[in-house]
Amino acid sequence: MKIFIDPPNSLILFDLVERFGHEPLSVMATIQERVDNLEIDMPPMNVTLTDVKNGLKYAGIEVPSGIRGRLAVWGPLIDQAEAAIIMEDAPYSFGCVGCHRTNLLVDFLVRKRKLPTIEIDYPRTEEDARNMVIRVKEFLEGLK
Amino acid sequence: MVRETRLVVISPLSEITPDQITRKVHSLGYEVTVKETCYGAVLEGPPETVSKVMQELRALDPLGIYSKIRGFPLGDPKRCRAQHGSRPGFSQLQTEWQSLSLVEKGLECALRGDKAEDIDIPERIPVKDLQRFCEEVE
Repeated sequence: MKIFIDPPNSLILFDLVERFGHEPLSVMATIQERVDNLEIDMPPMNVTLTDVKNGLKYAGIEVPSGIRGRLAVWGPLIDQAEAAIIMEDAPYSFGCVGCHRTNLLVDFLVRKRKLPTIEIDYPRTEEDARNMVIRVKEFLEGLK
Repeated sequence: MVRETRLVVISPLSEITPDQITRKVHSLGYEVTVKETCYGAVLEGPPETVSKVMQELRALDPLGIYSKIRGFPLGDPKRCRAQHGSRPGFSQLQTEWQSLSLVEKGLECALRGDKAEDIDIPERIPVKDLQRFCEEVE
């Protein structure tokens, strides 16, 4: 099954989803498509002007273009997804390399689609990690 | 040509070194490009071949080797730090690499068949109740 992972560039989630026999929908694959086919050559942007317009499907015109640009790339992944794993409070999804408003909108879009979803916290202790991996494993095995 | 670029990341608890990974890939003789890095290696080649190589690499340390695909090709000047690429992204990878030791222990428990502990998730207030509270305050 196609599993949307949030954060969509997470190594931990990408690996776990693949390890337990599903296809992770990640932002890296979308970026690869753009780099290989569209010849994105406008550093540091990863989107085209058309993408930002397409982002209107997922966020209103009053929403900052950074959020709309992100959703233009992530939104189609949510549309394709058959299930989702949301990892809350990942340290890199907030601050200079992340965008909390986008994260909230992504959570909203996933919940709106009523997909089978599991919400987990970013592991900070051994106990957290144990619970997280076991819950993810049970969730992914239950989807088969 | 369809390509797949993959990051191979070694958990901090693993005894495998990036050098062992690259030597293993070379010894397999597949037509893939491999670059040794501080966290493991980057592989690039046709998706089927990369997948075969990944299976072989995982066998070295099933719980200690992690991977994900990468959008930009190997040595892409837009990304490569050696050429002052404009998209540095190591901070995220570094954070997750540090957590891999925890994930490794978690995987060990999961594969052993341990059960997750019950977590108390606080119930959300129904919208009707919230509406009633607001009306009471007004």
